[in-house]
Amino acid sequence: MELTLCNHSSYPRIGDDAEQQLLRRAIAQRDRGEKTDEDVRAAEERMTELALAEQAEAGLDLVTDGQIRWPDPISHLAAKLSGVRINGLLRFFDTNFYFRQPVVQGKIERTEPLLLEEFKYAQEKSTRPVKAVLTGPYTLARHSIEENGGVGGFDKMLEGYTAALAAEVAALAAAGATVIQVEEPALLKYPDDFPRLEQSLTALAMSKASAQLALVFYFGDPGPIYDHLQTLPVDLLGLDFTYNPSLVDRVASNGTARTLALGLVDGRNTRLEDPAVAARQLEKLAHGADLNRAYLGPSCGLEFLPRDRARQKLKHLTVIKNTFLGSLA
Amino acid sequence: MSRAKLQRLGIDLPLFPTTSVGSFPKPDFLLKARADFAKKKIRRGALEKAERQATEFWIRKQEELGVDVLVDGEMYRSDMVAYFAEYLKGFEEGGLVRSYGNRYYHKPIITGEVRWEEPITVEWWKYARGLTSKPLKGMLTGPYTVMDWSFIEYYPDRRTACLALAKEIRKEVEALIEEGAKIIQIDEPAISVRPEELSVAIEAMHKVTDGLPAYFITHICYGAFENIYPGMLDLPVDNFDLETSNSGLDMLELFQKRRYTKDLSLGVVDVHTHVVEDKAVVEQRLRQALEVLPKEAIWVDPDCGLKTRTVNEAIAKMQSVVTAAKALRENSDK
Repeated sequence: MELTLCNHSSYPRIGDDAEQQLLRRAIAQRDRGEKTDEDVRAAEERMTELALAEQAEAGLDLVTDGQIRWPDPISHLAAKLSGVRINGLLRFFDTNFYFRQPVVQGKIERTEPLLLEEFKYAQEKSTRPVKAVLTGPYTLARHSIEENGGVGGFDKMLEGYTAALAAEVAALAAAGATVIQVEEPALLKYPDDFPRLEQSLTALAMSKASAQLALVFYFGDPGPIYDHLQTLPVDLLGLDFTYNPSLVDRVASNGTARTLALGLVDGRNTRLEDPAVAARQLEKLAHGADLNRAYLGPSCGLEFLPRDRARQKLKHLTVIKNTFLGSLA
Repeated sequence: MSRAKLQRLGIDLPLFPTTSVGSFPKPDFLLKARADFAKKKIRRGALEKAERQATEFWIRKQEELGVDVLVDGEMYRSDMVAYFAEYLKGFEEGGLVRSYGNRYYHKPIITGEVRWEEPITVEWWKYARGLTSKPLKGMLTGPYTVMDWSFIEYYPDRRTACLALAKEIRKEVEALIEEGAKIIQIDEPAISVRPEELSVAIEAMHKVTDGLPAYFITHICYGAFENIYPGMLDLPVDNFDLETSNSGLDMLELFQKRRYTKDLSLGVVDVHTHVVEDKAVVEQRLRQALEVLPKEAIWVDPDCGLKTRTVNEAIAKMQSVVTAAKALRENSDK
């Protein structure tokens, strides 16, 4: 039984010891005119290396760059697109974390790579394969507003973001990304928009070359759309199992045509999962999914946890996996 | 408006009372004292002395600016949830978690039964009240927000944790009232994000305020108000203090569709930008509100606590608030 252990997306970019405060200090000093953008970039690189090392040390098979450079999951991408300006703060879903809202003023265009350099850096520094992670076009569009006529409505915004991200997916695949994760948590709030998501993902899938395209949902129960998800042109489906205990049964009974990324470990609460309970969930899931191909990870990005607890959660993945394998023996 | 209630409590306020949401930036000398205390270079007594000096600074500054209802500025707090978690039993301090951009806070962890054992804010309220003859708000964080902004390890679910907190926070409200607080603000910025839990927040607020003789304000910010309006009007408070300028005053559209029935502390300056709004901008925002609400119902303040701004920016933003409110007040009197 393989059961690949993976991180979800973000990793805390701060911790309680001095070195883990490096980026916070550098940004604050840059803002006061005491340091330069170069200094901040160096701090970001160092913190990325630390995040990569901690993930590897926790025993993960597939890591991320921790999204250390991201101010938030929305504006980090949108700010680099022409036709978009960044506005005030809004709450990110039901968290106590805030993103800056994109304001679409005109045609959305990718005039520069969005994540390519960050991905290449992580890939170069990592001892483990690195997953590339993008906030999806639908979620970007749902968190954007238009001004001065914008581009003419939500569908046009979605179209613009889709084209921009399709180009980024192509660039990441060309740079060697083997797994490219597209996150679409916003769809869970608007399940009737499934056809829109399907159209957008089809465009991304056409750009992925030989990379595996992963579609990931978090901050909600994907149960109501679970069967529809099987029809999407993606290689992997990432599901958050923390919102609905019966999702495990649904996957077990309905099966899946896709490789699953199993978000069984709660990325939003510090309480550690009972390994025996998680192992039983895996046993059930094995009835519907091929766990030899599956990924086990947190339910969402780990930036919502303190660093020590995030690290603990990642290490706990190995405990859960071993408990599960032990139960099979 | 609850002006009659205020009068019953012995508080006479002008039209468009000005106030602030709660926190002000810590002056440099306090930041240094806090850093020195963290490095164990100074003792707690020296830190508290600096906190008292900073509190006096902001009380004087609010008086100079002509603010009508004052706050102590929260010079002694780290953040609005961690501070209460530090004094209530049942919490452990969690590590740093990001709030936005380059801002972080210690997110507490509920690891045991929560218990109020002694007054938390009362001594600071008494100290600040001794510095001014103007009305001074008591400032607390509400049970729903303390629950939502903590990790929950002890309680089986969010509702149980929230109601347990409400029972204990009421004791702090009672302690403030016993010392003479008549206006008490119970901040619930988290309340708008899970509409399905609004009934839990309302139930908890009843536990905190029912039957107590004070004018209650609740501050809510940075959420999707449209998801909880008009249901939020069932919260047992007299005044909603809302972040409105950051979101283009879009709340007012909701009020046009369904009548708003409480007093409103209207956020008229954005606390997340260095740009200081001039008087004309603030007056325009107030006039927009006046198209929808009776003038007697409107209080004027910033969108949120000003602690993220520099001291000078905070003063300038408060100046804009006060100047615009006064101008409108004078015009309204004519």
